[in-house]
Parts: sequence; structure tokens; C-alpha cells
Amino acid sequence: MPTITLDKERFSSYVGRNISVEDMAKQLPWLGTDIEDVAQDSVKIEYNPNRVDFSSIAGVARAFCGLMGWETGLPKYDVKQGNITLTVDKSVAQVRPYIVCATVRGLKIDSDTIRELMELQEALHWMIGRDRKKASIGVHKLDAVTPPFSYVTCAPDGVKFVPLDKTEEMTPQDVLEKHEKGIAYKSQVDWAPRYPLVVDCKGQILSFPPIINGELTKVDENTHDLFIEVTGTDLNAVQRSLNVLVTALADMGGTIETVNVTYSDHVLVTPDLTPQKMTLNVDFSNMRLGLDFSEKQTIDALQKSRLDAKIVEKGVLDVTIPAYRTDILHEIDLVEEVAVGYGIFRLEPTKPATVTTGKKHIVTEITTAVRQIMIGLGFTEALNFVLTNEDDNYYKMLQKPEGLVTLANPVSTDYSIIRNDLLPSLMKNLAVSKHHVFPQRMFEVSDVIKLDDNSETYTERRIHLAAVSSHPTANFTEIKSVLESLLTNLGFENWTVTETNNPSFLQGRAATISLNDMTLGVVGEIHPELLNNFELENPTGAFEIDLQKIIDKNK
Amino acid sequence: MPELRENEQKTLLALEQLKGKASVEQIVDVSGLAHAAVMRGVLSLTEDKLIVTHEQKQTLVSLSEEGSYHAQHGLPERRLIDSLAKLGGDAAVNSVIEDAGLEKKFVSVALGWLNRKGWATIKQGNLNPLKTPPFGDDEKLIQLLTKKTPLIVEDLSLELQKSIPNLKGRKLVEIEEKTLRELELTDDGWALVKQGIIVQQEVSQLTPELIRTGNWRNVKLRRFDVTAPGPVSFPGKIHPVQQIIQQVKEIFLEMGFTEIRGDMVETAFWNFDALFQPQDHPARDMVDTFYLANPKQGKLPKKGVVDAVAATHENGWTTGSRGWEYKWSPQEAKKLVLRTHTTATTIRYLTEHKEPPVKVFSVDRVYRNEKLDYKHLAEFHQIEGIIMDCKVTLRDLMGTLKEFYKKLGLEKVQFWPSYFPYTEPSLQSTVYVPELKNWVELCGMGIFRPEVLAPLGVKHPVLAWGGGLERLILLKLGIEDIRLLYKNDLGWIRRNPVCQQ
Repeated sequence: MPTITLDKERFSSYVGRNISVEDMAKQLPWLGTDIEDVAQDSVKIEYNPNRVDFSSIAGVARAFCGLMGWETGLPKYDVKQGNITLTVDKSVAQVRPYIVCATVRGLKIDSDTIRELMELQEALHWMIGRDRKKASIGVHKLDAVTPPFSYVTCAPDGVKFVPLDKTEEMTPQDVLEKHEKGIAYKSQVDWAPRYPLVVDCKGQILSFPPIINGELTKVDENTHDLFIEVTGTDLNAVQRSLNVLVTALADMGGTIETVNVTYSDHVLVTPDLTPQKMTLNVDFSNMRLGLDFSEKQTIDALQKSRLDAKIVEKGVLDVTIPAYRTDILHEIDLVEEVAVGYGIFRLEPTKPATVTTGKKHIVTEITTAVRQIMIGLGFTEALNFVLTNEDDNYYKMLQKPEGLVTLANPVSTDYSIIRNDLLPSLMKNLAVSKHHVFPQRMFEVSDVIKLDDNSETYTERRIHLAAVSSHPTANFTEIKSVLESLLTNLGFENWTVTETNNPSFLQGRAATISLNDMTLGVVGEIHPELLNNFELENPTGAFEIDLQKIIDKNK
Repeated sequence: MPELRENEQKTLLALEQLKGKASVEQIVDVSGLAHAAVMRGVLSLTEDKLIVTHEQKQTLVSLSEEGSYHAQHGLPERRLIDSLAKLGGDAAVNSVIEDAGLEKKFVSVALGWLNRKGWATIKQGNLNPLKTPPFGDDEKLIQLLTKKTPLIVEDLSLELQKSIPNLKGRKLVEIEEKTLRELELTDDGWALVKQGIIVQQEVSQLTPELIRTGNWRNVKLRRFDVTAPGPVSFPGKIHPVQQIIQQVKEIFLEMGFTEIRGDMVETAFWNFDALFQPQDHPARDMVDTFYLANPKQGKLPKKGVVDAVAATHENGWTTGSRGWEYKWSPQEAKKLVLRTHTTATTIRYLTEHKEPPVKVFSVDRVYRNEKLDYKHLAEFHQIEGIIMDCKVTLRDLMGTLKEFYKKLGLEKVQFWPSYFPYTEPSLQSTVYVPELKNWVELCGMGIFRPEVLAPLGVKHPVLAWGGGLERLILLKLGIEDIRLLYKNDLGWIRRNPVCQQ
């Protein structure tokens, strides 16, 4: 989750009063942020990725004022009509089709502002821009270049410019090959025959989006006026990114001016901070929250969440939403705004009127019975991951891998497949436990996954039961007796035992167990070579049965 | 008079035979009892004041290996002086050594001691005897030791005792300190043995034979030392994680919830798309979610459901939402994943059970593509509960959670605003854990979004909450390293009490 550090002084200046870090830490969680750290003069918070407007101190302060009741309702932003134009060349449609722009003038910029601005950009790149794919931002020192601007494309080696924080000129091609940002983001453009560029009227390069800005327009402490361009593959994403950014800059003291963005067939005047409108039914809100609010109470709560609302008819509100709130998709989001504005801490928990009786799943019922019998037989339960690897699950067991369910992106070689039997897990458990007192008797009744062509996921989750008994006098007779005792206590009578060959077991000491011609599983004395593979020294009897067959019978 | 056990009776009788005074070893010899049995008898007889134990410290001296060699051949310096005398009392050193047949390793020692003992001097390679040395105390002691070893130092003459440090320095003898215990009958003890002791045979194991024949009346069953430590027993038992899973399930059942269960392998459709998580959502990234290589793709549900979900993602469909505004891909939705939450199972269930009320829960396996360390697992358990009914509210959800926590022994609960892609409003809850003296984040919760419910045809509000089970287990068991839970170390499972006090 994204984080932001709120400097006490800066935060205080945004909210217009002195506030202690203790009070900040006490109140901020009611906005839905987590307190990560409280330092002497700052509070670090974690915020949810839907609230991109919390990616600047100004944005958090705005919401905080509402919550505290210091400033409520929709924040007003003046947008002056500007005279700067940016022309969009048709060729950008092939690589990165959208651009929107703004200028912000009259800012006092210090090193803290620059840092806040960079953090804000990074947050937007990630949360709205999806790692610069849908939208990426270029912020420029306006004085360094000459409008009007153009959004064009060029051949990969068609121009040269000095990228940000570098001293040597590079072509876009060089940037992708050598520059750290170029290497990181090259997949966004390297497939295209021509790369996007933002240039001024003299052909000077502002940026090579979404990779890097030019050094020419680097924002420093002498900068007062900013030119902002947001490019991307999604028009909504670029507009929302711009809106979140310019409103934060306005809160920092800047004046927003529009830019005329001229596409071949239409003109966009951006930024467009027109508030979004949405209808809220007070009954709907009350029903979801369990409240009995009047229109007035609902409006008050919305205003504390920095929205505005007016009654259009009885029980129906017309809600206006500021342009930086990109997270409000549906009426239900307004309901949450009511709850947060009212204060979650003021909501008294109630008990639902729904009356039902509970019921265990059949799998739980049967596995609980099996567990009880196995424990009574002196076995201790193990619980293992279903994630495993071929070596443990097959080769060490002297078995050939068959019907594997495998991961596309395993995090380690230890966990690359999903088990389709339990016994290998128990052998591993014996290996881990070999320095403990013998006899060691363990069982697991749990999940395996098998391939299944008839299922929607082409796999099937099944419950197996496996058990091992390991000690100096363990043998086939003992473990078979355990299995038969289990079957008796599960209420079965007529099972059959047939000798079988299974590489995991000693020849002549392995059998399949069947119930009315349905094979349940295998029981036997573990092959010494397998014991050597797991570095075990005691004779070991084992069985594994497909409990799912018994469960399905009981359904 | 105390009742005596068989070993105690035999010890007293042996002491009597040994005239009232003897060592433990002597009693073992005479009584035929095992050493340990005598020692046990001595302890209780001493307690009953029938015998006393005299302890005496003794120093024992014995010959070392080299000492034994010299005991046989004579001390090296003695061998030289004898040969010198044989050669006429003045001879070249080499010829004396040769005559004595002295081993090379003893030559310098022998010459050294000739000098130190004042028996001879060496001048220009010649050995001159100063006197004819008498038999020294050291030699006498060595001779005595060849007859009996070890000897008790305190019993030796003062002269012989004085020679010991020298011999010890030459590593020819070894010294050992020992405590001698001598047992002696007290007056009470004498009185008792004078009365006569009839040894009664004791039986330690009551047998079916004794019970059946009634012979148990004629034998004496040995009294056990009930305080003595015995062997440890290990019961078969439930796995600690399973135990807590069962506790949590019990709580849900008590609260009237029905258990549901679903596949761990899911299509991205049910794991993400049906829950209104856009296809470019970071949680769907390979870095966070396990995708399958085999099988790679699953099947989508019937067209109506798929189309409604697709339209909801793209433009909100008829839900009144603006949607996520992108082109939805069925290929992406078909991908198979290891479910990242049990909500995938819940939403499938809701699609099949639309009639209110529905109260269901699961405590089951879920997955995150995460490297294992002491805090993180790639495979773990999620607790999830939902209530679907006509008139349930956010406050009802809070109340349900409070009840749930209370049954887990967590009395203090706080609720905060939060965010989950498929619930709105969403809350986070923290509980106060007295053992930690701290608030801990446990379950997240919310009401399913209309964008989730409408495409599946669910018409009533659905309250949902969920959280990680392992987090709760760590709190309950006080464990630091989460990996311990699934290591299945038998020692750990055996130590872990079935009932936590």
C-alpha cells in the first residue's frame, strides 16, 4: 500500500492551524489511513490505492479539514483561461494517443515542494497510470521553453536531447538502451516505429513520454510557473491524473490556467475541473448503513467528506464530487462518504435480525471423524502445504511424475507443483522429526489436487488420508491393522486386500485396499531405498487412501 | 517399627553378618542385591536411623604405565648405577648405558636423577660414582605397589608418603581421591536384627496369575517410589493449526453459519473478475498471484453471467456504475490461479444461492506469491463469513464481528474506514490483545458492491468479512516464526498443549 509522510509544519500550514503529531495520529485513521510511524515532527501514513488524492500532503489536509469540521463542502478551484496551445500530431495515435495539459503559475517552490511534487507524480504513475502505461506526467519549468507546444513522434534516432539529471545528449534510442528509466520502461514504446515527444515551437524537447523529461525544463527553486503534460493510452486516466495534480498545486498556492490541446478533429481545453454529479437516495444510504438520517443529516455528513449536495426531491440528493475524487464510481461510494463524514466511530454496532441454523460441510464432518479415530489409534496429525516439488513428491518416493498440476510462476524451486498425494509430505515430516523419540506415528487428512477434464478448472480438489508408523519394529502387519481398524470404525465391513506392486513399498509387503470394487488406496511397508532417500533409519509402515470416495458416497 | 522392604531387610542382615560395619561393596557381595537396590535401602534405613553412614576421604596411589615398567626393570638411575658398579666404578657414559641396556628415551632422565640424587657425576664423558646408594623410599613404594595396587596413602609410613610428590612429578604414579562410605548399624539397628528378620519375597508386577489364584494374598507387593521420574508418554493428537481451525468453525456454527468449501484452483474470472477487480489491477500481477502452467486455462460460466460481468467492468452495465472503462478480455478471465481469497468460493456460492437469508462461512487454504520468511507464507488459511439478507446493514456487520471476536476471547474492538475493491462501504477492524498489550489488525469487512452482485443476479445486500487465520494462531500460540506452523516437527506438536491455559 502507498505511504506518505506528513510533515507537521507543512500539514499545519495546509490545514491553517497548529496541530500536534499526536492529534494527527489520533484523527487520521478516521479517514481510512493507517498510521505507519509517528516521529517527532511528522506522521507517516499508509493510504488505500483508490484515494490517489491522498498522494500529496495538500490532498490529505483537504480531507482532514472536512473531517474535523474546519472546512466542509466542495473545495473551490478557480481555473483561468490560458492562451498556451499544444498541437497533437496524428502520428501519436500509433503509440501513445492521448495528451492533456495545464499551466500552474505563481508557485513558491522550495526543495520540500519539489520532493512532494515528485512523490505525487510517482503515486499517480502507479495508481492511475498503472506504472506509466495508462498515464504518465511531465512537469516542466515553463520559462525554459517557448510555447506553442506540440505532441509529435520521431524516429528512434531522429533527435538528440539531454535527459533529466544527465549532461550528455542522447537519442531516444540511446535513452532506451542506456538510461536507467529507459531500460525500466522501454516496453511502453520500443515496439513502435516512431517514439512520442513533447516539443516547443523551436523544436526543443520537453519530454520523451512516458520515459523521461529533458534536462532543459528541470524544475528548480527558481521556478514559479509550471507547464504540465500528461500523456497516455487512456483519456480518462490522463485527465484524472492531471486533475489530481493541479488541484494539489492550487492548494500549494498556484493559479491554474487552461491549455488548448488541439487534436486533428477537436480541441480539448484542459484541465477540466467540472465537478462530477451523482444522485444519492437517502433511503438507500440509510438502509445500507443502518441509520435513520434526514436529508439534512446526510448532506452534513457528505460535506464533511468534502462533497456538496442539495435536495432535488424528497429523499433524493444531487451530489457534486470534486474532480480530484477519482474513486467514486457508483451511488454506493457516496454511502461510504456519508459514513466516513459522520464518523465511523459514531456508528453503534447492532445485531442482524437474520435467524439461521449452522451446518458443517460434509468434508468437515467426515474428516473430523477420521481425525478422531486416527488420534485414538495413537497417531499425531500433520498439516502440510499442498505446494511442493517434483523431487520430494516423486523422485524421492521412487515414483514417476504423472498428471502434474504445475505453477507458471513459482516463487521458489521448493514449491513449484501441487501435490496429488499426501504420503511424500509425511515422509518429509518424519525426516524433520527424526531426532525425536520413537515410535513416531503421524497422519494427515487433507487436500490434494488432481487433473480432471470434466471440471471447469480442469482440476479437482480431493481429500486424502495418509498415515505413517515409524519405529524399530514397524511392519506391514501393524499398519494394515491400523487401516482396517479405521475402516471398521468408519462403519465398513467388506473390504478386500490384494497384493500389489508399488515402487514406494517393499515387494510382497504392499497391498491395495478396495471397497466393493472401488479402489481406496494402498498400504505397505516403505521401501528401504526410499527411507535412505529421506535419511530415515527406522522401518516404516504407511497407507494412503482417497477419502473423497467415502465422502462422495455419504453425500 | 517401620515396615521394611525386601532390599532393606537384606541390607540389615548383611550388615549383621559383617559385624555391624561394612562398605556398600561388601554388602552387595554378601546380600546378593544389586548395587542400586542397596543404595536405595541405605537411604531409607538411614532415614529410619537404623544405620549410620561414616564417610572417610581416602587418597589412593597406583602405578602409572611407565611406573609399572620401571617396577619391573628398576628405576633408570638405579640401572645405570648398578652397571657402573659392575664396570668397576668409573667408566665412559656410553659404555655404562650400553651395559645397562637403557632405552634411549630414559637416558637423560637417568643421568639427571643420578646427579640430583647425588649418586654420580659426569666428568669428560666419564661417570664417577660418589657413593653406593641405598634402596630409596621411592623405590620401596614402587616395590610395594607391584604387590598391591592401589594403596591407601594415609596407611603408609610418613617416609613413603613423602616420596609420593616426587614420583607423581615423574608421572610414575597416579593419585585418586575417593570418599569411602562405611555403614554401621545403630543401636536401634542392632535391636532390630537381634529380634530376627524374616525376609519376605516381594513382587513388583501384579500378574493375572496372582489375581486368578488369589496368591496375591501370600506375596508382598513391592512399594514403589511414586515420586521417581518415569518414562514420558506421547498421545496422538490434533495439529495445532487444525485445532484452531476447528475452534473458529465451531464459533461460526454457533452463530448459525453454514460451512462452504470450494476449489483452490480457480479461474481468474471467479477470483477477480466476478469481484469487480479490473484486469490491470496490481493484485492480478504475476508478482502477487500464482498462475498455473498446467492446466493453464479454465472454462467461463454461462454467457449471460460473463457478458454482464464484462459489461460491468467496461461501462458499469445497468448497475449505475461508471465501471473501469477498459476493454474486458475473456482470455485473461480464463487463466487459472491458486485462489488468493476464499471470496472466490463465496461468490460462486452466492451465484447459486440467491434466496435470502444466506449465512455461510469458510476457513480454508488461500495463496499469495510470496517468498517464505518468518512473517510470510505463500500458502495459508483465510477465515471468511458472509450474511445475505433483505435488510442487513453496515452496523449489523459491525455487530456480527463484535460477537465473533468475543467468542474468540477478544473483547475490545475498533472499526476504521478501509478499502477493498469488491466491498463498499469497507471497514477494517483492530482488536485489543491483552497478552500483547496492543491493538492488532485482524479482519477486513464490507458490503459487496452492486457491481459485484448485480451481474450475478444477487438482489440483496451481502455483508462480508475475512482475515488471515495464521495471524490469529500466532497471537494464540505466542509464536514468532510463522513457518513453524507447517514444519510438522513432531517434537513441537508433542509439546504444544491440546488445551491452552
